[in-house]
Amino acid sequence: MTTHISNAIIMRTWEFGETDLLVSFFTSDKGRLKGVAKGGRKSRKRFANCLDLLSLVKLEYELKRGRELYFLHSGKLVHAFPGIRSDFSSLSLASYMIELTETLFPLSVTDKEMFALLKNAFLALNEGKRNGVLRILFEAKAMALGGYRINLDKCCGCGRPYAGEGRAAFKQSKGSLACLKCEQESKLSPGLSPDSVKVLRVIQSTPWDKAQTLDLNNEMIREIKPVLKLHIEYRTGQRLKTAQYLE
Amino acid sequence: MGIYPPSLENLIVQFSKLPGIGQKSATRVALHVLRSNRDLAEGLAQSLIDVKEKIRFCSICFNLTDDDPCSICRDDNRANGSVCVVEGPGDQLAIEEAGIFKGRYHVLHGVLSPLDGIGPEHLKIGKLLTRLEGERIEEVILATNPTTAGEATASFLSRLLSEKDPSIKITRIALGIPMGGDLKYMDRMTLEHALKSRLPVTR
Ligand SMILES: [Zn+2]
Ligand SMILES: [Zn+2]
Repeated sequence: MTTHISNAIIMRTWEFGETDLLVSFFTSDKGRLKGVAKGGRKSRKRFANCLDLLSLVKLEYELKRGRELYFLHSGKLVHAFPGIRSDFSSLSLASYMIELTETLFPLSVTDKEMFALLKNAFLALNEGKRNGVLRILFEAKAMALGGYRINLDKCCGCGRPYAGEGRAAFKQSKGSLACLKCEQESKLSPGLSPDSVKVLRVIQSTPWDKAQTLDLNNEMIREIKPVLKLHIEYRTGQRLKTAQYLE
Repeated sequence: MGIYPPSLENLIVQFSKLPGIGQKSATRVALHVLRSNRDLAEGLAQSLIDVKEKIRFCSICFNLTDDDPCSICRDDNRANGSVCVVEGPGDQLAIEEAGIFKGRYHVLHGVLSPLDGIGPEHLKIGKLLTRLEGERIEEVILATNPTTAGEATASFLSRLLSEKDPSIKITRIALGIPMGGDLKYMDRMTLEHALKSRLPVTR
């Protein structure tokens, strides 16, 4: 059996037996995995404070024969994101990001970009970047990586390309923009200004570093938020449990 | 279902519902009960019922107790001014057994954990705030565990408490190298905490 070493983010842990820990973690190169850390609750030598929720760690692990479960050998803490721990609304948003990732990515689906997104989002949260903006950036990018990019290029009704002329509505069942002739603005089809559409397009298609510097004003946040909420609920088929703790 | 008589089989099933006890251990324990004299079975049955009937939460500190208020809350010799906030009864017990703290406690019965659906409304936080009014509390010691959830809970409480009463002293238990620890095996967060909260050496 070969041993792997990956950077990983600890997503959840469960107490397992007397001293063991069952760990769900998202790796940089093998996607989301589950494993057992023998003595994970006691061993300070092999797992020095590195199996704590939301930590970025370097893990050494191997696959148990014929199982979906990995065996964790040891770990080293890379980043504990203290800024997330010291604020309940940041902890809630980070937890929400974890839950959305779990919903979009089944076990063992490799996605380097998703790992980078989680890590970058946690770093930004840790630095105290505005939670409202980070939520939008993460939701839009995670959905795009999960295969649910919102179509912002043309109307899903008549097929006319959207070139930024006036407002448009979001059609939930199509995951797409619609022109106002095909779809009226309503609570279930929230409207977007040309600026909001432009910003959302940039978020979906540019790397984190660039997307992070976007200047989202309150009006854009107010418009984009319900669009993403409806989009996520429709595509994942559920309201995420952690969403209730977000402002 | 199978090789044992139904009553023994049933006992095995009941034991295997307990945490950390699998089918094998359950069978071993059940056979042991069967072989032992009647006293063991009766004592076991009675204590199981007692624990469900008698143990409840103290209405002041939410510690587990036979009597309400609990013996600690009733004890006039304990310092009223300081309250030590812990996650669960096990933590309270650990501090109490060490015999070093002479104040009062408050048991939260959990920590904030959005991923498990546990928010402030699920913890005994409201009652802690009302204690601030009723008792003359000068210091609240936040003794939740130094985990992600424990830290978040401590900072949530410290914000809430100081909003409620800006004059109250709020302290957090020290984090750092444990006694008998080895620097070589410490992670960077622990080392950072240990250096930040270093103390002058008394001469
Ligand atoms: Zn149209
Ligand atoms: Zn009490």
